[in-house]
Amino acid sequence: MQAPPDRRFAADAEAHRRDAPRHCPACGAPPAIATEFWEGTARRFYCSCSACGWTGEITPTGDVAVGHEPEH
Amino acid sequence: MLTAEQNDELTQVDAGTPMGEVLRRYWYPVAFTRELAEFPVKRVELLGEFFALWRSPSGRYGIVPEACPHRKASLAYGVVESNGLRCPYHGWVFDEAGACVDQPAERDDTRFGDRVSAQAGVAEEMGGLVWAYVGPAPAPRLPRFDTYVMEGFRDIGWADLPCNYVQIMENAVDPHHVEWLHGRYFQFIGRHEGFTSPASFAKKHQKVGFTPFEWGIIKRRVLEGASEENDDWKVGHPLVFPYNMRVGGGGVHQMQIRVPINRTTTRFMLYTVHRPDEGYEHVEQPVVPDYRIPVVDADGRHVVNYVEGQDIMAWVTQGAITDRTTEHLGRSDIGVAMLRKMFREQMDRVARGEDPLGTIREEHERIDLPCEKDKFHAGAQFALDFCDMGSTRFSPMLDAIKKIHVSAAERVASGSS
Repeated sequence: MQAPPDRRFAADAEAHRRDAPRHCPACGAPPAIATEFWEGTARRFYCSCSACGWTGEITPTGDVAVGHEPEH
Repeated sequence: MLTAEQNDELTQVDAGTPMGEVLRRYWYPVAFTRELAEFPVKRVELLGEFFALWRSPSGRYGIVPEACPHRKASLAYGVVESNGLRCPYHGWVFDEAGACVDQPAERDDTRFGDRVSAQAGVAEEMGGLVWAYVGPAPAPRLPRFDTYVMEGFRDIGWADLPCNYVQIMENAVDPHHVEWLHGRYFQFIGRHEGFTSPASFAKKHQKVGFTPFEWGIIKRRVLEGASEENDDWKVGHPLVFPYNMRVGGGGVHQMQIRVPINRTTTRFMLYTVHRPDEGYEHVEQPVVPDYRIPVVDADGRHVVNYVEGQDIMAWVTQGAITDRTTEHLGRSDIGVAMLRKMFREQMDRVARGEDPLGTIREEHERIDLPCEKDKFHAGAQFALDFCDMGSTRFSPMLDAIKKIHVSAAERVASGSS
């Protein structure tokens, strides 16, 4: 019934399943839903928690902490 | 991007599923009033279930599951009588409350009839449509949204679409698609077919915003050449949870309705009221006219030379249920993420025994929804674009509708309004 999986992006689907947050940062319960979206090269997860009502975005960063330099 | 499990949960409509239980807390339009005036009983599919809907000789409406509790024959072929709907097979009668009030071949000194209630829903008429509630009792009130009860000239365009309703609702929190699907793409089609597409639809977005409110989500936009003082941002227009969107402008008021008929069929309805703010002279309508809007042409290609046909193309070509496990949302899709969160929250509320968002139990006369009047800061031109470039051009009422808008403008110009 669902559209067949798009094989071109199987790796992205797998990465989503692997990286989607498993715990609410506020209370530790499993998030009710985590919708992944991209902002530039950053992957972000828009999450909400049924247990405590927390809503927010979680961004995996990897090992490197990246700063920024506004024009100055 | 979601997991397959989340996508499955989000798109279900059947009884017993979390989302199906949410959807059973709302009223849905299931017939045009004129249909039951023409013939008093109709087979209805809603949320993956079949029902018999009927109008009694005194004007009351009833709705029960299609299968007769006796031998499962279809009550949609029933005989409408003063005390209810009589099964065509053996004559059992069910009243509007679902009670079995006659079993002609059975002894009447038993309580057999009490065992076979048809488990009725509730049905009412409003605004040229028959509405039904088939969820748990007690039913909430039928929300009297402004478009259904306001004065004005009405028509209803519709089509049954082969896709899940959620991908249609996600379009309602996706402002950016307008400048591309109804802007750039419309220009492209217009160049090839020899017409000029409406310029206001191609204006570039500079900012979009989404505000949850008591009936759903208000969508806001700032377009090139405008500011946050313009109606598109200051007022916006709402997604009315879980299956509507209120739009309008330039004296046009519309509810876009997306009824989940089953998991992969959605009835798309454009309930439109033409009522210019100034200069309007009311035209009586004994019947609200309805008309089909085209989806595909003789070659099976989508009809994309009108606004809603473009939307339909984008919804249906995603597949019967879009594969959200391999989609790629961007920051500009944040409204879509917010809507999914809202759906998920309502599943939790219903599981806790609470009413979900957008249900009302208080008696009320009219619910006014926020909706911009100066759409795309295009002024009165929006109404004319709406008539020529949208589904209204297929309406049998097109000439009357144009006359309403033009006459109102002339009255205002002549100072006679």
